Amino acid sequence: MDSESRSVNPGVVALKPETITAFLVLLSAVLMMLVMKLLNPTFGSIEQIAAILTTSIFLVVASYGQGLVILLGGIDLSIGVVMSIAGMMIAGLTNGSNEALIWALPVTLLSCIAIGLVNGLGVAFLKIPPFIMTLAVGTAFFGVALGMTAGSSQRTVAPALQVLMSARISGIPIPIVLICGFLIAGSLLQGRTATGRKLYAIGSSIAAARVVGLPIEALTVAAYAMSGLCASFAGMLLAGYSSSATLDMGDPFLMPTIAAVVIGGARVTGGKGLYFGTFAGAIFLSSLSTIITVLSLSQGWRNIIQGGIIIIALILQTKQWYLFSMVNRRLTGKRPLYSVLPQNSESQL
Amino acid sequence: MNQATREKGRPLPSSAFAGLLCLAMLAIYLLKTPSAITLAGITDLLNNTVVLALAASGLTLVILAAELDLSSVGVIAVSNVIVATLSTKLPSGAFISLTLVCLVGLTAGLVNGWLVAFLELQSLACTLGTMIVCQGIALLILEAPGGEVDGFIMNRLTDTVFGVIPAAGLILGLVVTGWLLFRRTRLGIAIYAVGTDSVASRLTGLNVKGTKLIVFALAGAAYGLAGYMLSAQTGTGDPRVSNSFLLYVFAAVAIGGTSLGGGRGGIIGSVVGAGILTVMQKLLFALGVAEFYTNIFNGVIMVVAILFGNLSAIVALRQRVITGRHKNSQYARQ
Repeated sequence: MDSESRSVNPGVVALKPETITAFLVLLSAVLMMLVMKLLNPTFGSIEQIAAILTTSIFLVVASYGQGLVILLGGIDLSIGVVMSIAGMMIAGLTNGSNEALIWALPVTLLSCIAIGLVNGLGVAFLKIPPFIMTLAVGTAFFGVALGMTAGSSQRTVAPALQVLMSARISGIPIPIVLICGFLIAGSLLQGRTATGRKLYAIGSSIAAARVVGLPIEALTVAAYAMSGLCASFAGMLLAGYSSSATLDMGDPFLMPTIAAVVIGGARVTGGKGLYFGTFAGAIFLSSLSTIITVLSLSQGWRNIIQGGIIIIALILQTKQWYLFSMVNRRLTGKRPLYSVLPQNSESQL
Repeated sequence: MNQATREKGRPLPSSAFAGLLCLAMLAIYLLKTPSAITLAGITDLLNNTVVLALAASGLTLVILAAELDLSSVGVIAVSNVIVATLSTKLPSGAFISLTLVCLVGLTAGLVNGWLVAFLELQSLACTLGTMIVCQGIALLILEAPGGEVDGFIMNRLTDTVFGVIPAAGLILGLVVTGWLLFRRTRLGIAIYAVGTDSVASRLTGLNVKGTKLIVFALAGAAYGLAGYMLSAQTGTGDPRVSNSFLLYVFAAVAIGGTSLGGGRGGIIGSVVGAGILTVMQKLLFALGVAEFYTNIFNGVIMVVAILFGNLSAIVALRQRVITGRHKNSQYARQ
């Protein structure tokens, strides 16, 4: 991906620091697994690695939406609730039949996009801080879902979704194929389309974006809707994986989506970050939590290690970026390209 | 910098709208449940407010300096289990545990401040890390809910002082008075300056890093105290303070009119915001509203309160010379 962007766009410096960050985060995930393998030779079979990747799909998908919103300088705190709602809906609507999936799938997706739209409209037009808007929307829709379902779905998820999460294509589990596809599609959308580049522009400087005449409100709404869409995908996959759904199953994913985006090198105030980085952060966090589960430690120690490693990862990532950009600037005399828009940025959404 | 323009057209603080909303809700609540218009009823209401208000006050300081802090639930959990395990075991455990929770809070805050100010980590992410670590420490101290809080803490802090003033009200009063004095000090002004524009503050010679460090440390101590008050009310220890409490702390700050982008707002608003959220729970309970409606109302009230705050900001902007944008964060100062 990186080599491609180099050849197509001559303005991009040889190696984007963000790409390096992402590779280092991936590398540290691999290192972490190697250390585990040394400590515990039974760990780290191909099956186990595949299992780690399979369970990482929820975070990989959900944090894409979070990444887009954070790119704009916002934040989406409704992701956990939307994931739960999507899982509950797909279980409730299909009730174990594959035929129902044909209409249940779009209905679920559209409902979750609608929640995202509410977020986006509130943030873009009512000027409510994203933190509060998404929190309020999440809380309110949690209430709606609670009122309609009493907390857990008694129905089973359509078998097709369960098969999707467990079957293999020529030996490779389908979720891993999905992750690869999602990574490519997501990276292209975020980094290589005019719409994606406009998000960077808005996140870097909203005033400049306004002067240039970018459709700020429309793109903001679109980003939040996209976040709802990703969260609903993640929620449906989660429901398929666990073959049932509860109204709190999405909650544990909210904070990790933010952590994945930031560990991947994005800036919380917007304008900087690659999806490849977020992806690396998601893989890192998923393997971290799997490894910690494998260690037979009390929950307290697991938390301490997990929190500690998140902080260490942040320190390494931040400092590495500083070092790299210093060296890079000295070598090439150029600043990393991020706030510069491609030429086709005038085309509308 | 912005100070001159701010002084010129000083608008009604947006916390005033929050205050009106709070009073209106309180009035409806008291009309609905006349039994609450007693000293005991009001003490109860203040007791329910004080934990959220203390935590929100701490967070306000951090947010004023344009940083975020998620560690509150972690620190509250640690201080809660410390009080639950130590206060009955030691002689004068109430005071020892009070000192201890303050120290623990300060330490956690200093770690946060060091990570943010000196290692220049993004506050949202690294305080997420310290939150998880603190929750882990709480689980190590007390594995499952249990323990016992000293009777002195439980009775004195939830009752009235001299038979007339609720202890929780006294604490809230102290917080507000302390804030009114503090915000006029050099440090208090520096927090606003750093939150408005940290580069300009550094160029004017303010110690930006030191200010941020102190802000996080003070916030940590406030979370510790909030945990202490929580123990006083629950009378037991629980290592798992729910994450939804964290969201309420942020909501209280935002409803109180503090801009999440930093540099605007204050602790009084956050205390009022905590009051709104508490009264709302009471009101909905008094009206006999089912739990899921409570959630919906919570969401709606948050948005409405912010909209009120925004209205006041628009009114303020009309009076103010718009000098341009100060920060990159997108919707920070509308």
